[in-house]
Amino acid sequence: MPADTPLPDTPYPDTPYPDTPYPDPARRPRPRTGPLAGIRVADFCWMGVGAVATRLLADFGADVIKIENRARLDMPRRLPIYKGDPRSYGDEDPNPDPNKGGLFNNYNRNKLGITLNMRDPRGRELADALIAASSVVSENFALGVMERWGLTYERLQELCPGVIYARMSGFGHSGPYARYRSYGPVVQAVSGLSFISGLPGREPSGWGLSYMDNQAAYYNSAALLMAILHREQTGEGTEIDMAAVEIGISMLGPDLLDASANSRPTRRPDFPTGNRLQYPHAAPHGVYPCAGDDRWVAIAVFDDDEWDRMCKAVGQPEWADEERFASQAARFAAQDELDALLGAWTRERTPHEVMRLLQAAGVRASAVQNAEDLNEHDPQLAERGVFFEMDHPVIGTARFEGQAVLFSGFTPDLWRSAPLLGEDNEHVLTTVLGLSRDEVADLAAEGVI
Amino acid sequence: MWREADAAPGRTPYNGLVVVEVGTDLDGEQTGKLLADLGATVIKVEPPGGSPTRACGPWLGDVEGSETSLAFATYNTSKQSVVLDLPAGLPRLEELVADADVLLCGLQPAALARLGLSYGELVARHPRLVVLSVTPFGLTGPWADYLSSDLVALAAGGPLASCGYDDHTIPPIRPGGNQGFQTSASHAHNGLLLALLQRRRTGRGQIVDVSMHDALAVTGELANPYWFYPRVLLERQTCRHAQPEPTQPALFQCADGNYIYFALVLADQKPWQQLVAWLDSAGVALDLTDPAYGSLPHRQENFAHIQDLIEVFCLLHDADWMYHEGQARGLPIGIVSAPEDLLADAHLRARGYFVGVDLGEAGTVEYPSTPFRFGAFPVPPMRRPPRLGEHTAARLQEP
Repeated sequence: MPADTPLPDTPYPDTPYPDTPYPDPARRPRPRTGPLAGIRVADFCWMGVGAVATRLLADFGADVIKIENRARLDMPRRLPIYKGDPRSYGDEDPNPDPNKGGLFNNYNRNKLGITLNMRDPRGRELADALIAASSVVSENFALGVMERWGLTYERLQELCPGVIYARMSGFGHSGPYARYRSYGPVVQAVSGLSFISGLPGREPSGWGLSYMDNQAAYYNSAALLMAILHREQTGEGTEIDMAAVEIGISMLGPDLLDASANSRPTRRPDFPTGNRLQYPHAAPHGVYPCAGDDRWVAIAVFDDDEWDRMCKAVGQPEWADEERFASQAARFAAQDELDALLGAWTRERTPHEVMRLLQAAGVRASAVQNAEDLNEHDPQLAERGVFFEMDHPVIGTARFEGQAVLFSGFTPDLWRSAPLLGEDNEHVLTTVLGLSRDEVADLAAEGVI
Repeated sequence: MWREADAAPGRTPYNGLVVVEVGTDLDGEQTGKLLADLGATVIKVEPPGGSPTRACGPWLGDVEGSETSLAFATYNTSKQSVVLDLPAGLPRLEELVADADVLLCGLQPAALARLGLSYGELVARHPRLVVLSVTPFGLTGPWADYLSSDLVALAAGGPLASCGYDDHTIPPIRPGGNQGFQTSASHAHNGLLLALLQRRRTGRGQIVDVSMHDALAVTGELANPYWFYPRVLLERQTCRHAQPEPTQPALFQCADGNYIYFALVLADQKPWQQLVAWLDSAGVALDLTDPAYGSLPHRQENFAHIQDLIEVFCLLHDADWMYHEGQARGLPIGIVSAPEDLLADAHLRARGYFVGVDLGEAGTVEYPSTPFRFGAFPVPPMRRPPRLGEHTAARLQEP
């Protein structure tokens, strides 16, 4: 038998789909398709990293059951990213509608949603039962929260032999700073990613987004998929301990090896180098002003051929004959002059005009695209269907960020927008845990779910 | 190719997985490194002159050469190197691929056509093969043959627009470390895993088409949702979230000249109380202990004044102290570490994060280990990057 034939004893429970009443029948769960169909995940994740990590599983067929706490709403349910109501995300509505948040919808589509009150022993019993009926458990709480509910890896193995327990945190589950608090920007700062980003001689410009929330999510998805692969090959489950700070450091690149191998500090006057490269000696290599309000174009030239093509494309073939620009090394040394000349040319044009003109000539260039460019005008993203739309009972039609990889063998299974708070309580508790509708109604009345 | 005997409890699932890597840019190289560091056999096919990355500094010991590139050393650990001149060596490439599980390739459609390589025909001939294509814009669409780079990709995909300084006469600034390529590699890793799981179910491989552009377009965090819902664009701000409007600074310089990141969320009561208690313990809380600050509107009205006090407090203390003392008090403060600071970090030491890799004459160099940690199986030791063509003889029989 080849190593990758599914094992006959793959420990996935049967997934029943009876006709639980849903006000809108289109929102009733149905059997899933994709490489992860049949895998049930008891998902305790919240915030960004965890939600994006398990989103990939949900998109490709897993039954991801998101477990929420009514008393402490998931942050993306509260962040004020609403249709027709522009606010900064610090400007929260004190009493938000938990089903209106756009960020939550983007992060949690294709998942089932239930609520559990873990302060009530009956809530914790339901969590145990759900874990026993699943084969993957995921969480990204502060350290000690799962333990407070008794949900250690040892206990999970008792509940669910062969369980995969994915633990996602900022600093990992061991070491002196394990209890430190973090979110994207803190991880970026601590891991060095902020420091290596900026102009020389001033404060770092760092990141204008929680890049590490996304990257840590992607790494946590991969860890989950590796663990699933390992269990299918061997029957063995595992605990996973992923630390976002360590993921960030692993992505610092050659600057770190320069520090470790050459003992060259990055705290030095000429570091970092803004949009210029230290290596290789590309020039011009920068972001240039364009016509319009705060519009820019990125241009990168790595060798003589690209330089010749660029000079012709911008209508300045004589630049290629100038002594000061005669070689890549000369151009690298003369970047200030070069940038001034090129910037004077780009300033008269729109960023997409420059992009089209240079790309047609075989020169690396792109408009600095904003979200409007990506969503309304980018023909490449449109052709590949990167963004998609689904209906939501409160929000209405909404757009989503899709998966960025196209497969010849399958497609994502996009069956429903994000769950309303507790939307699948009855479905999950009756079909997965075998409770009666009356029992579910009692639990709801008593504040257990 | 994977065999039954390769899978065992206590062993990485990539044990026995054979990957042939060819024509890759840094994203494909990073993808291959992720797989190789986690136990796959990754055979990197290089042209006679070596991967272009070998020509890129910085240099080990500041000596330029094909075996001293620290860029190559970063993205090619634990791999094997085979030299093959293409297109002449195409039949021998296919021999390698015939024994492999995965072809990891970075060539764009026009380059594939020039080479005469068709993925469709390749998977037809080798039905269990997974072709993992990692390219700037993907294999389809009007921009499929556009050229790119890390900077160009970050611009096209959107993240660059959110990064830079409050001063908008300064252009958006590219974050360091080739993160466009890193983003693409992360998506490639997940794409391959899904295809390997699917192969277990169907016995068949497939073509996995990874686009750096698509990957970055879904990695902007708030930028797209702010367009999907309120339809507003974000403004870049110095080392903190791009937002619809300017917000208070989050970077504070400390007594030793180093920085911390601290974004005070005024709406949350607990961090506010923790902050005031901290300032008060140092005798610099001034009027912040006034009960009026218990109300959010009052804090919002006086946010600039609060920020001034934090600024002064930071200037009186070193960044390291602010970081650890603040965290001990429950505040999410991050020190802005320089890469060299990390090598001595007590937490990372305790977790055994940095590992020594023997680079030969240069001795042992400290590397960040793969950040994947599983209880059930250890990740194998990281191995040095291969010398150019080091495994040609072992992998390719003479014609």
